Amino acid sequence: MSEPTDAASASSIAVRAGEQVGVPLEGGPAEAFVRERASATPNRHPAHAGPSANVERSPRSSGHASDVRAPPLDVPLRSLQHWFARAVMHPGGVADGIEQHAAHGGLGVSLGDVERVILPSSRLAAIERLAIYGDAYRARLVECLADDYPALEYAMGDDAFEALCLRYIARHPSESPNLNSFGRHMAAFCRSEERPPLVFGSDLTALEWAMVEVLHAPSTEKLELARLATVAADRWAGARFAPSATVRVLEFAHPVNAYFQAFRTDRAPSVPAAAWSATAVFRDGATIWRMDLGRAMHALLMALLGGTPLGPALEALAAAGQLTEEEGTQVMVWFRDWVRHGFFARIETD
Amino acid sequence: MANRFGFPDLGIGLGLRTVHYGHLLEHWPDVGWFEIISENYMQTAGRPLYFLDQIAERYPIVMHGVSMSIGSTDDLDMSYLADLKALRERTAALWVSDHLCWTGVAGRNTHDLLPMPYTEEALRHTAERVRRVQDFLGAPILLENPSSYVEFAGSCMTEWEFLARLTEMADCGLLLDVNNIYVSAFNHGFDPAAYLGGVPFDRVAQMHVAGHTNQGTHIVDTHIGPVIDPVWELAREAYGRAPGTSLLLEWDAEIPPFEDVHREALKATAFVGQREPESPAAHEPRGPAARP
Repeated sequence: MSEPTDAASASSIAVRAGEQVGVPLEGGPAEAFVRERASATPNRHPAHAGPSANVERSPRSSGHASDVRAPPLDVPLRSLQHWFARAVMHPGGVADGIEQHAAHGGLGVSLGDVERVILPSSRLAAIERLAIYGDAYRARLVECLADDYPALEYAMGDDAFEALCLRYIARHPSESPNLNSFGRHMAAFCRSEERPPLVFGSDLTALEWAMVEVLHAPSTEKLELARLATVAADRWAGARFAPSATVRVLEFAHPVNAYFQAFRTDRAPSVPAAAWSATAVFRDGATIWRMDLGRAMHALLMALLGGTPLGPALEALAAAGQLTEEEGTQVMVWFRDWVRHGFFARIETD
Repeated sequence: MANRFGFPDLGIGLGLRTVHYGHLLEHWPDVGWFEIISENYMQTAGRPLYFLDQIAERYPIVMHGVSMSIGSTDDLDMSYLADLKALRERTAALWVSDHLCWTGVAGRNTHDLLPMPYTEEALRHTAERVRRVQDFLGAPILLENPSSYVEFAGSCMTEWEFLARLTEMADCGLLLDVNNIYVSAFNHGFDPAAYLGGVPFDRVAQMHVAGHTNQGTHIVDTHIGPVIDPVWELAREAYGRAPGTSLLLEWDAEIPPFEDVHREALKATAFVGQREPESPAAHEPRGPAARP
């Protein structure tokens, strides 16, 4: 993914910010954002992973036909599991994992001694059998990240995305029995990349992760429009709004929601030039929605979700000159849309 | 019902998969039961439960986990088990299963079903943990024989001997995955018939069938495609030793439309037998009183 850095490149982009401000757009790709776990083994070898290449420099005495074999090592279960896990999870592949484990005082098994721990089969050497687990480990987690970040995968291309994922997996190995939150560090990880920092990728990742978050967020109470009619006129200025758990508001340096929408509708977008944008991501029932926000909408919504009463929030907006005359006439429309879409759990007028 | 635990015969079931939610909620097809992957509905409070709650109101549910890590030398994850227990209560799941495996160590999780060495130490270690899990859940669990791609040089017994002794020592049940027997038999060069000969069938409360991918040098348990005839034959043989056992098809890669998956599962009627067709009313929401 090359990231345009000057205005000239804007002429070639397919998406621009602000095209559909205030219009809710439905969700993500149909089955994305749910990495469905299964007891199956992925049959996929990550193109950038090392195991198979490393296996080639390892002994290949495959076959039970080996009549003269060193006796099995008597390895306690705990030591065996640490050795096995180190081999399987090592970014450089199982052979590197075995060598480094031995070098760091772990189980002293050299590559030549692997068959004293793992038997060869009639078709595969011990190290090749072990590499099946190494490949599956990486493939499963790459699939998980691809499920969380389909637009990032499209933007980067398959190979670059997979390489990014493998670096991510090495930096952030899973420490949870659940994969739902495995990809949560990706936006920060993109910003930390040095080749070069993936600024657009980080923005896009933040949008996609917000969809994951609202997908898993609990359904909370929803402020109904009918409730607004019960609020006395003199209470509105001091009214505060409790945010719903199923809404996120994000600010970007790129028009990522427009890009995502173009991706979702198969319009083959190219990476856009930098331009401010803001998007609300929310869930209503089972459906995830995205709504672009103008600057005034964003400022007002952020103030309200942050607990600022309505009156002061509007005054601050006007004082900052962020509210045009035309926008001023639209505030109640925005507000009713936000209520209708469940951005607020309740109104507090005391 | 042949198992010693009294787990009911649910007939032929299917694994619940996201891609089929829409079809299920629109058509409420006549399916005996669904197995969920427990972790897909844990650490979430949102959309996955929105669908699961509706499906669990209409169909019997059993829970199949992939992260209990029963064979790990890390401490049992009590937070995970608490979530598992809460999900069982939410879905009124009839039983909970996981795999004879470990998934990680030193706090790291590979999210894979890693193989156990079949040693006396591993046997004692795993049996003690199964008992603790069962005490916590207040019910026997089922452990599934996994597909495996390595054999440990230090193993001193076969997988089926290990499973028979483990289930006896821990007094737990067995989820017999017939495809996994086939896969591991190819990968390790043992006779599936010998495996079946060592299975304690009175402890088998559920069976799995699935497709797989033969790579030539080894078979990968991909749960893809139809079940091949030799696996169906093995299932027929196993079912004959434990008639009345609930049987389920797993299909997890390149998942086709629901009707195709269901049609594949119903091939098992050839030996399970045709069950009384359920009326559409059977899939009206079950009231709380109807829950087991």
